[in-house]
Amino acid sequence: MSSLSLKGIRKSYGSLDVIKGVDLDIKAKEFVVFVGPSGCGKSTLLRMIAGLEPITGGDLNIGGKRMNDVDPSRRGIAMVFQTYALYPHMTVRENMGFALRFAGVAKDQIAKQVNEAARILALEPLLDRLPKELSGGQRQRVAIGRAIVRHPDVFLFDEPLSNLDAELRVHMRIEIARLHRELQATMIYVTHDQVEAMTLADTIVVLRDGRIEQVGRPLELYDNPANQFVAGFIGSPKMNFLSAEIVEKIGASVTIELVKHPGTRLTLPVTGGAVGEKVTLGVRAEHFGLPGKGSVDVTLHVDAAEHLGSTSYVYANSGGELVVIEHEESRHTNGNDRITVSISADKAYLFDSAGQRLR
Amino acid sequence: MATTRLHRNEQINGWAFVMPALVLLGIFMIYPILWSLWMSFQVGRGNNFSFGGLANIQRLANDALLVHALSNTIIFFIIQVPIMIVLALLFAVALNDATLRFRGVFRTLLFLPCVTSLIAYSSLFKSMFSNDGIINQTLVSLHLIGAPIPWLTDPFWAKMVIITAITWRWTGYNMIFYLAALQNIDKSIYEAARIDGVPAWARFWNLTVPMLKPVILFTTILSTIGTLQLFDEVNNITQGGPGNGTMTLSLYIYNLTFRMMPSFGYSALVSWVIVAIVAVLSIVQFVIARDRRRAS
Amino acid sequence: MNMALLRRSATYVLLSLAAFISVFPFIWMALGATNKSNDIVTGRLSLGSNLLVNFQNLLAQVDLVRVFGNSFLIAIISTLLTLAVSSLAGYGFEIFRSRVRERVFQLLLLFLSIPFAALMVPLFVLISRAQLNNTFIAVILPTIASIFIIFYFRQATKAFPGDLRDAARVDGLKEWQIFLFVYLPTMRSTYAAATIIVFMGAWNNYLWPLIVLQTPENKTITLVISALTAAYTPDYGVILLATVLATLPTLIIFFVLQRQFVQGMLGAVK
Repeated sequence: MSSLSLKGIRKSYGSLDVIKGVDLDIKAKEFVVFVGPSGCGKSTLLRMIAGLEPITGGDLNIGGKRMNDVDPSRRGIAMVFQTYALYPHMTVRENMGFALRFAGVAKDQIAKQVNEAARILALEPLLDRLPKELSGGQRQRVAIGRAIVRHPDVFLFDEPLSNLDAELRVHMRIEIARLHRELQATMIYVTHDQVEAMTLADTIVVLRDGRIEQVGRPLELYDNPANQFVAGFIGSPKMNFLSAEIVEKIGASVTIELVKHPGTRLTLPVTGGAVGEKVTLGVRAEHFGLPGKGSVDVTLHVDAAEHLGSTSYVYANSGGELVVIEHEESRHTNGNDRITVSISADKAYLFDSAGQRLR
Repeated sequence: MATTRLHRNEQINGWAFVMPALVLLGIFMIYPILWSLWMSFQVGRGNNFSFGGLANIQRLANDALLVHALSNTIIFFIIQVPIMIVLALLFAVALNDATLRFRGVFRTLLFLPCVTSLIAYSSLFKSMFSNDGIINQTLVSLHLIGAPIPWLTDPFWAKMVIITAITWRWTGYNMIFYLAALQNIDKSIYEAARIDGVPAWARFWNLTVPMLKPVILFTTILSTIGTLQLFDEVNNITQGGPGNGTMTLSLYIYNLTFRMMPSFGYSALVSWVIVAIVAVLSIVQFVIARDRRRAS
Repeated sequence: MNMALLRRSATYVLLSLAAFISVFPFIWMALGATNKSNDIVTGRLSLGSNLLVNFQNLLAQVDLVRVFGNSFLIAIISTLLTLAVSSLAGYGFEIFRSRVRERVFQLLLLFLSIPFAALMVPLFVLISRAQLNNTFIAVILPTIASIFIIFYFRQATKAFPGDLRDAARVDGLKEWQIFLFVYLPTMRSTYAAATIIVFMGAWNNYLWPLIVLQTPENKTITLVISALTAAYTPDYGVILLATVLATLPTLIIFFVLQRQFVQGMLGAVK
């Protein structure tokens, strides 16, 4: 139940910088999810917190103590690996008690803690099996059990669900959320799946290219992304991006014109930007309205429509730019139709050519 | 870059794990190699030697027996290694077929020769290939030959016996390497090729062989070293005879050192000849392998 | 269809022929051990009645217990030490990467192709100077750090999951404990295959023991068979009986560890 603080954390392999200065405070009992595309450095950052990768620069504090040079086993952490990393030659019971054995804990105390963890995860019937005799989901539970047994202050999860099938993944997600409530521990969770991030996190940390792009609560990030990258990464389906150009600027508002739809103009309350600047208009799928109900209408060609029952997605084409639409009329639209939708200025986002948010 | 304790630990552990091996290799491999380089310039008998300048090299230039040993070794190498590797490949491909019955039995039987010691099987072959022995008797009774073949008393046939013996002993060993490599190849590649109508021989030449190339190269190098090491068989079946017809480099060095007038300096120089040959052959093999890759 | 059947039959015929050729010398050896030397050199291929006589003759010439004891002692100690030293090094080279050690490893691969014949003269002088001539230490020591086995273990270690080592580090194990309690037990089939290779190599080693072991009480079984074969009038009944006895231990080890051997080779070739 420790808090963590990362100050100017850097990591480089020779001349290659992988983590380029990360500052982050994590409160005790918080569930923090590191999310980002592959290669963004999220796993490396987690492994640096675990002590598995040397830290090139900066300060790592766990529970108020500087931990940069402390052995992994003395950082008060436990880790759950993507591949589960169960010792193949040991039974579930031995796997779970292995760390305690090397910490010099008495035999009966080990047994007590193992049984306790097995109870929490309903692993009792499996205790004397070998990992190879377990299913993927069971192995994952054992891996989590092995972490619980040690009563760590901080749990680290490295993409723990990515080797499971879709159904099991949903199930384990709920299980992990329950564990977080029950154990009241600090948890740091790495994933590339923004759905996992949205559903599990108290706080999401979006990483790209070794840097933090934005930190915030899930809906904060969804509603109020700091830049085009976060806007595109958080949310499913992805936010739609339409290229545009600023054609007029009066006081605290600008008027833009869609590049692929000459004549289609939209005025937004934006202070920055200059006439002639290339910008990107961002619209979430569910923010398209019926014709005439928004600020401006556009007509698009429909490539395909996916009817999922509870909702329908229309995949339309705006001069080469893919647009996903989800609104009341989606249900009645099919491939090769033409669809007219409206865009509301108050629900639209605007990004400059560098991807920074203008509105 | 600041060296962290974690980083330093990795370094210390890294050296600690490899150190015992490195120390032993230093004493029993690197030191002898350097020592024999120095020894190559010494003349004299046994442990009494003195600096002889280029005397050994002059002796090397006029050594007919060395040329003989060298050419024998090359003959063994050129004939035996390709035969063995092709056989091993064919067996491995045949045994890799999951629909083949008794594959486990075949695999075990073909590997069996490898468990024999070189000396034990040499003695077996010597007895089997004797003048009135089982091989000649069988061949004569099958009317394949009119008169017994002088296996061990004719230089040509003696070479054939050695080649047969080595092939018998090592084919299964190489086969296991190929079999292991074959099992790592994705079966769907072959299924795709069959659907595309690629005939069996083309699947072998254009799929199997290229995919096994690293292993083939590896076993070829091992076999090359093996041929240059050739000692146990020739020393026990033919003693290098008849008429030095099966004399090999290893046996020649052994004779120079322990049988004839012991001349450590000269045998050290001959050892370096072997090292040079191995170096050249290894380079050639790597270059060939690389050119093939480029060509394909 | 007919073509496929034909090819399948040809495969069976060729494999059976190859299997027969592989096995025939074993049959020859077993039958020969029961025959008189004269019958053997004239190619008799049936069970004889001379087994006991051959055995008595062998006992008369060779102190079998002593000779086998020597061979076992050398082979077992060699195997244990080689596996220990070489697997440590293979693991170390693969797990703890550094530019310097990578260079060292490449250098070792270069040395892999240096034949023993090139080393035996200086090695012999080295051993003589250290006054280790005619000792088992002299036979064993130079073979312990085997570049081939180091290479083999490094290859096999590539299949050892990095997460497993990380999990053990988080669990508080020191590096040597990870090697001993996690790596070693998970790599059992790799060790099994290496055991076969190293034990057979040590048991069958000939040239180096021939050079260093001079007195009869230190001879190994391979040296004895060689001496029997080199006799002016070799007694093949005795020789083949001795080869049967010399081959049995490696044969047994192979059959016991066969499954792990194939698995281990699979891991190494990947």
